[in-house]
Amino acid sequence: MSAFAHREVDVPATLYSIETVQIEFDTWWNELGEQKPETRFAFELAVVEIATNIVEHTHRAEGTSGRRFHLELDADETSITAQFADNGLPSNIDLSTVTMSDVEAEGGRGLALAIAALHSLEYRFEDGRNIWTLVCLR
Amino acid sequence: MTSIDVRAEGGGVVLVPSGRLTVVTAPQLRETVANQLVSGQQLIVVDLSSTEFVDSSGLGALVSCLKSARQAGGDLRIVAPTEQVSMVLRMTNLDRILQPRASVDDALRG
Repeated sequence: MSAFAHREVDVPATLYSIETVQIEFDTWWNELGEQKPETRFAFELAVVEIATNIVEHTHRAEGTSGRRFHLELDADETSITAQFADNGLPSNIDLSTVTMSDVEAEGGRGLALAIAALHSLEYRFEDGRNIWTLVCLR
Repeated sequence: MTSIDVRAEGGGVVLVPSGRLTVVTAPQLRETVANQLVSGQQLIVVDLSSTEFVDSSGLGALVSCLKSARQAGGDLRIVAPTEQVSMVLRMTNLDRILQPRASVDDALRG
């Protein structure tokens, strides 16, 4: 067990890569030795929601051919962090306007859930890459 | 999700999805419920005791299946969600329309 476990994965921007992300997350979490299930539930949920958002945005915007995303999972004494970087088109997202969908809605909850699950969620487009940074306090 | 076990019981059909219910596997749940409704089943019980993880796509599938069941004159009831699933239901307020039952028997009785 380590308080500072690090893991990276680089995968095609396709739906099946989300399974790969969760398998990597499992391994990283076990190495981390974090004990609080609620922290895991929240952070894993946010990681999966952002991975799904990247894949779906890529698919809608330009198709998935040649598109990949890179995920780094890190921890220090006070926080756990996930950073996604992808080579897709810029995302037109204003996180300050995201709200939770009505209970009757069949979709539109992903980003709202990620925001609710995290201490902070940031998005920026930099050097031709979409960068998402997810932070939970330990 | 590795599988959805399906069994007829007490006037309804019980589905037991195991593993993760995400954007990858949610279509499998939608298809299974649709097939049951087409074949005349009206009471769909989704036993979530083996569903270790759900995301917004999995929730969307449950809401969609609930609507389909009600449009067919029936209902969809969920049973025994795991801790992660319970948390996500609370975060989205979906526990108001998908009120978990403690057991399959409870769900079949109403």
